[in-house]
Amino acid sequence: MDRALFAAATGMAAQQQNLDTIANNLANADVVGFKGSQDEFTALAAPGEAGAGTVRTGEHPLFKAGKLERSNGPFDVAIDGEGFFLVTDGPRRAYTRAGEFSRAADGTLRNAQGWQLAGVHIPANALTASVAEDGAVTVTTTGGTQTVAHLQLAQFAATEELQSADGALFMQTRESGSPRWITPGGESGPKLRFGMLEQSNVSIVESMMQILTAQRAYEANAKGIQAADEMLRIANNLQRG
Amino acid sequence: MDGIAWASSAMVAARSRLDIATENLANVSSDGFHAALARGRLTDRGIEIARVSAPGHGAYRRTGRPFDFAIVGEGAFRLQDAGGAVSATRNGAFERDRFGVLRDEQGRKLIGTILAPGASVRSGFLETSNVDAIAEMVGVLTSQRSFESAEKVVAAIDGVRQKSSNDVARIK
Repeated sequence: MDRALFAAATGMAAQQQNLDTIANNLANADVVGFKGSQDEFTALAAPGEAGAGTVRTGEHPLFKAGKLERSNGPFDVAIDGEGFFLVTDGPRRAYTRAGEFSRAADGTLRNAQGWQLAGVHIPANALTASVAEDGAVTVTTTGGTQTVAHLQLAQFAATEELQSADGALFMQTRESGSPRWITPGGESGPKLRFGMLEQSNVSIVESMMQILTAQRAYEANAKGIQAADEMLRIANNLQRG
Repeated sequence: MDGIAWASSAMVAARSRLDIATENLANVSSDGFHAALARGRLTDRGIEIARVSAPGHGAYRRTGRPFDFAIVGEGAFRLQDAGGAVSATRNGAFERDRFGVLRDEQGRKLIGTILAPGASVRSGFLETSNVDAIAEMVGVLTSQRSFESAEKVVAAIDGVRQKSSNDVARIK
């Protein structure tokens, strides 16, 4: 009997979840290396039967690259092309494209959450450091220049299956497979851009449009509930004694 | 059939129209969803509502995910569930499992496509729902109003009957 009520209720719940995801994207529109995500919905129906609304089947990060912008931070580096930096926190490993690092007291390069860029150690007497297109990390000391590390990039067979920790930090999963290690700087491969940062890939205009659409869809479903309720009221009043 | 039966079948029909409109509205964001259209017809049991699939396809949305597929033109993806049952869908959101098999979000295996001549499959895109939210809102309103008018007819006939059974035969 109340198919209409339930279908409309699932529609409202779906748009609510949709709004949550869009709002989270918008909130991170200025976060370096952030990847926006998108909800996916599917009709709720048994094969061969009329449907009973909709259900959220997943939320997927979209790995479209953000714009690279010059930032001039002393240890900022962006990836121009595909791939991720490996960062570690004790035994934990994660992958990120947010290349905003700063030098810690122990000579490691760490991001704002304290994750360490794997394989790099800046000597204490270094005056400046730079990263070349091919991942070579060079430092200048009073005694001259020396190369202290070669950065490699991780690529995955199924990038879309990486699990998002906070939208900028990603974990390997069984489905994503293990990383393949790529040396940047090749003819067609990714290149590192020193002094630049990859911005969030969230488009504010697109998100605003999505919010408007979700809001209207929510309202439309609410009207469906109102109509179903009104019909029930009328049916209940048929008996006037 | 008497008048009340006719009018009440119209109320039931209006209710079915609302079911269809709300079902469509709930799925404005469901990829690959095809709206149902309500088709009313007169039978000897009164008005009946049949569902038909709305013609035309939704717009294409770029996702950039390699295993999102959209069919441009007529066609469908063939899926097989764990029990072996085969079904067809236009929702092309697939994921690769660790054996390299493409599955949809309900775990059904992609076993092929049925494509009309000239149709093609594009990767990195999904077909959005073809629900027209404005048309469905109009559907909600009209079903509500036709429910109300049918109810008026039921009430009117009921009033006449009440009069004839209570007043006409009253002996003073």
